[in-house]
This record gives sequence, C-alpha cells and structure tokens, in this order.
Amino acid sequence: MEAIKLQLANRTLLKHSSPQWKRAPLQDVALQATDTETQPSPYVRAVWAGKRVGAVPTISVQAAYNRQNLFFRLEWPDPTHDADYGDGLVFPDAAAVLFPGDGDPPLARMGSPKAGIDAWYWRANRDEGESLAFHGFATEEPQAAQFVVTSADWEDGRWRVVIGGPVDVATDHKRVAFAVWEGSNQERAGLHSYSPQWQELSIG
Amino acid sequence: MNAKGNAATQKQAAMVFDLNKCMGCQTCSVACKTLWTRAEGQEYQWWCTVNTLPGRGHPRDWESMGGGYADDVPQAGRRPARQEWGGGWDFNYDEVLHSGKGQSVHLQVVGEQPEWGPNWDEDQGAGEYPNSYFFYLPRLCNHCTKPACVEACPRGAMSKREEDGIVLRDESRCRGYQFCLEACPYKKIYFNFAREVSEHCILCYPRLEQNVAPSCVRGCPGRAVWFGLLDDETSPVHKLVKKWEVALPLHPEYGTEPNVFYIPPILPARLNEANDFEEGQPRVPTEYLESLFGPRVRPALETLSREMESTRSGGKSELMDTLIAYWWKDMFKPFDQDPGEIEWSRTPGGQPGQGAG
Ligand code: SF4
Ligand code: SF4
Repeated sequence: MEAIKLQLANRTLLKHSSPQWKRAPLQDVALQATDTETQPSPYVRAVWAGKRVGAVPTISVQAAYNRQNLFFRLEWPDPTHDADYGDGLVFPDAAAVLFPGDGDPPLARMGSPKAGIDAWYWRANRDEGESLAFHGFATEEPQAAQFVVTSADWEDGRWRVVIGGPVDVATDHKRVAFAVWEGSNQERAGLHSYSPQWQELSIG
Repeated sequence: MNAKGNAATQKQAAMVFDLNKCMGCQTCSVACKTLWTRAEGQEYQWWCTVNTLPGRGHPRDWESMGGGYADDVPQAGRRPARQEWGGGWDFNYDEVLHSGKGQSVHLQVVGEQPEWGPNWDEDQGAGEYPNSYFFYLPRLCNHCTKPACVEACPRGAMSKREEDGIVLRDESRCRGYQFCLEACPYKKIYFNFAREVSEHCILCYPRLEQNVAPSCVRGCPGRAVWFGLLDDETSPVHKLVKKWEVALPLHPEYGTEPNVFYIPPILPARLNEANDFEEGQPRVPTEYLESLFGPRVRPALETLSREMESTRSGGKSELMDTLIAYWWKDMFKPFDQDPGEIEWSRTPGGQPGQGAG
C-alpha cells in the first residue's frame, strides 16, 4: 500500500471529493468474512453458524499524507445506507484501518491477548473517529490518545469514507490492513469482513 | 455452564406476583419509570410492564421472538423493532395547553401515529360473554439463573452478582451490540438509542444494599408482590415457590430459569346456560395457563383450591395467610427498611435519588 505526499490542508484531504485524490494510486483490497466458530460468545457461535458474514467483499483504498497526517480514502458499493440504528433492526455501517500494535497480531481473530491491533475506526452514526485497541474479537477499548478524524458520504449506493491520523503513528506501525462492518447484515463486534494479510505501508 | 455466571449464585433474589390480586393499576410500572428511566433515550423504556392476558404483550408478540435455550443450546432471537415497543411518543401539549385551542384540539401523538404501546391491548382478553376472561401479568427482567443475555455478550459486559444473583451490565464495557437483547427470551432489555448502550431492570440494587425492597414491590397498592431471597426459609418468597410450590416461572421452557414467579389466576368458574357456576369448569382454560407457566400449573391450582377450601371450612392455612398478606412489611422482610429514612446520594449517571416509594 503506497501513500503519496500531497501538500494540502487537512480539510482538503479529509474531503473524499477533493480532486487531488485522483493523483493517489487506487488499490482494490479483497476482504474475507470473519469465522463464526471462533467468536467469543456461545450465542453468536450457535446462531451465526452457516449465516453469511462479510457482506462487503472488496474495497478500493487510496492513501495520501501531508506534513502531519496520513489519510486513507476507502470506497465500496453498499446498497443500504445504514447511518444509524434505524428502527432498531440494523447497525450503523463501520470501517477501520488496522495497524499491528505489537508483534504479529492475527487479523483473522482481530488480534490476540498478547498481540494487539490498533484501529482507526469510523462508524456511520458518528462525526468523530475513534482510536481503538483490539486484543481479539469484540475486545475493542478506546485508546488514551484519541486522534482519529473521519468524514463520510453515502451517495448512489456507495460509501466514500476518509479516515486520518498522525503520519508518524502510521509510519511507526509500517503495516496496514482493513475491516468493514455491514450494518444491514447485522455485522458488529466480531462479525465483519477484513483484509486477510498485513500489507507493507510505504510512505514516501 | 461457563464462568461468566451461568450457574446458580450463592443467594438469589426473587419475586412473586399473585395474579389473583394484581389489578393492573400500573403503580409498579410508574414507580420504576419515575425512579430509573427518565433520562434521554429512556423515553420508551418501561423496565416493569403490566399487560392484559390473553394478549400480545410488550413488545408486541414478544413470545414469538425467540432467544433462550433449547436443551442448553442458545436459540436465535430477534430484536424488536422500535414500533413493536411503541411508547416514548411526543404529544401536542403546547397546542392543547398554551395555544388557546384547548376546546377544539384534542391531545394526540405528534408525527408518526403509534401502532402499539406498552399496554396497548388492555382489558381485551379472550372468551365469549358471559364467560369472557382476562387477568394482568406484571413483567420485569427475571434475573435468571441461566441468563442468556450474560452468555451472549461477546464483551463480557454483563454478569450475575454472586451475593444476590442480580443480572447487571457494566456500561463502560457495553458498546451497544445488542446480542443480549436478541438472546433474552423475555425481551426485557431496551436499547438506548441516545447513549448507544443496552439497559434493563437492575432490581433496584442500590436500594437492596440498604435493605430497601425494589420500588415496584413497595409501590404495589394491591399487596400483590413479595420479594426476598429464594433460600431464606423465613421469606414468603421461599414459602410460595419452594415450600408450597404455588408460584411458578413464566415460560420455563425458555430454559433460562427465571426468578420472578407467579401465582396462577383462578377466576370464577364458567357460567352455564342457566347462569349457574359450573364448579370444576375453569373460566381461564387450564391449558392456557399451562402454555404460560408450564406443567406445574395443575398441582399448583390443586394446592390453592385445597387450602382455600380448608379455610372456608374454618381451618387455618399458612399458605392462605401468606397470600392474604396481613402485614405489608412481612411481604419483603428483611428488606423492609423505609427508604425515606435513608440519606441517598446521587448515582454517577445523574439519576434521581433512590428514595421514592
Ligand atoms: S429476563 Fe432476559 S435480561 Fe433478564 S436475566 Fe433473564 S435473559 Fe437476562
Ligand atoms: S402495582 Fe401491584 S396491583 Fe398494580 S399493576 Fe403492579 S403488581 Fe399489579
């Protein structure tokens, strides 16, 4: 995953429709569904066995940075605009840029107790992003430092989401992965789709 | 069962409602509402509800929403839609009270018109006149011995307290994923759309810690509800559930082992064509009661009839004395501390003090 340098203001990069985004290379990232058998809740294991998880199979990703921040622009088709809990029957759509917190955390389980995953997290019902740490499915905890910025638009059956954070934090992590929760498919907690391999993040 | 608490705790708080005495006045519902669910996002929440049976209940048709266990295997449940709960409506108070139109405009819900609510089919019941019948069923979280909600939470945000078996949620761990709500077969968990956490009856635990009975219990003007620890042999709850076995759990087949129990209702017998009571022909079909309270309905009804008969013929019955409840405070001893005599502090959530009722 290559991030290019764009000498632009944060607010310009945070806007998915800024024309300069065209200059950043676009990469299609294939996602796969999380496994239901390894979910931490016996209810989820029993009830989700055989159900289709991972409604979003692929996303297009671009990355660009300025002096302070690195931004990821994520785009994927989604016929249902789940920006809140609706009548109580859906969940807000969500996505996250994932970094290995320490060691070699397993993406298939959203990290482990020993090897955590740091996430820059966006949820469709919130204006602000969240910095989260995962140590396994559904273990997310807000980090002490909250620095994630997000912006999102759903139009014509597509989500366009920009997620940003300090470029030095991203540089330290070196590798990156992605996760998407499709709210209309009841995806939340450990039920989501994710890119199964860590990718080198090249900044420069 | 797993370590999260799906096992009997040391002690278990329990309640018994006498469906022969409950008059559907909703004082319990309102006592709870005014104490615990007045904050934003709680408008539609009624942790204690009283519904007419036979009826569709609250949320509408909750008995068909799944959850609980079959042979210890978790069953799929669904979350009710907001409209199936109803409630929390906005009314045109301003228009009626302050616009000078009080004579021409009536009080009504503003916006989308309700299709259901917490007590929608009140007093409809079933049966044909003169043998029509209904009764009231108060419901709250059952603080189950095998709480499906606790086991369902992938974040371990819910637990069952060792000291009294109360099922609680650590809100700092709850992220609003609502698996608890799906898994609860009684649909006694509400999602707070404003705070993005789930919420349910806490059995007034801050009161219990001061030996004050829950607000719904103290509030009941019908002396229809008892409270105590199930294994406290001096508690009427123990006597009604364990000793006399006349108080039964609602839908035992849901597999969660509820700790709220009910004395099944006995209405007058059916009237025949000559307008005489046909003794032995119950107006509420026993099969219907069995569909609610399980196979122990018949023995419970037999015990109740036998003891009633014995007092009618001048005998003495501990069971009847307990059910009559001569002394109000005996209904929830030793939780009979007067809440008005306690200095209450505010809870972190900014709730009002726990002193009401
Ligand atoms: S009634 Fe529902 S919410 Fe209450 S303990 Fe039982 S399963 Fe949990
Ligand atoms: S307060 Fe008592 S009598 Fe009134 S509805 Fe509740 S349980 Fe029934």
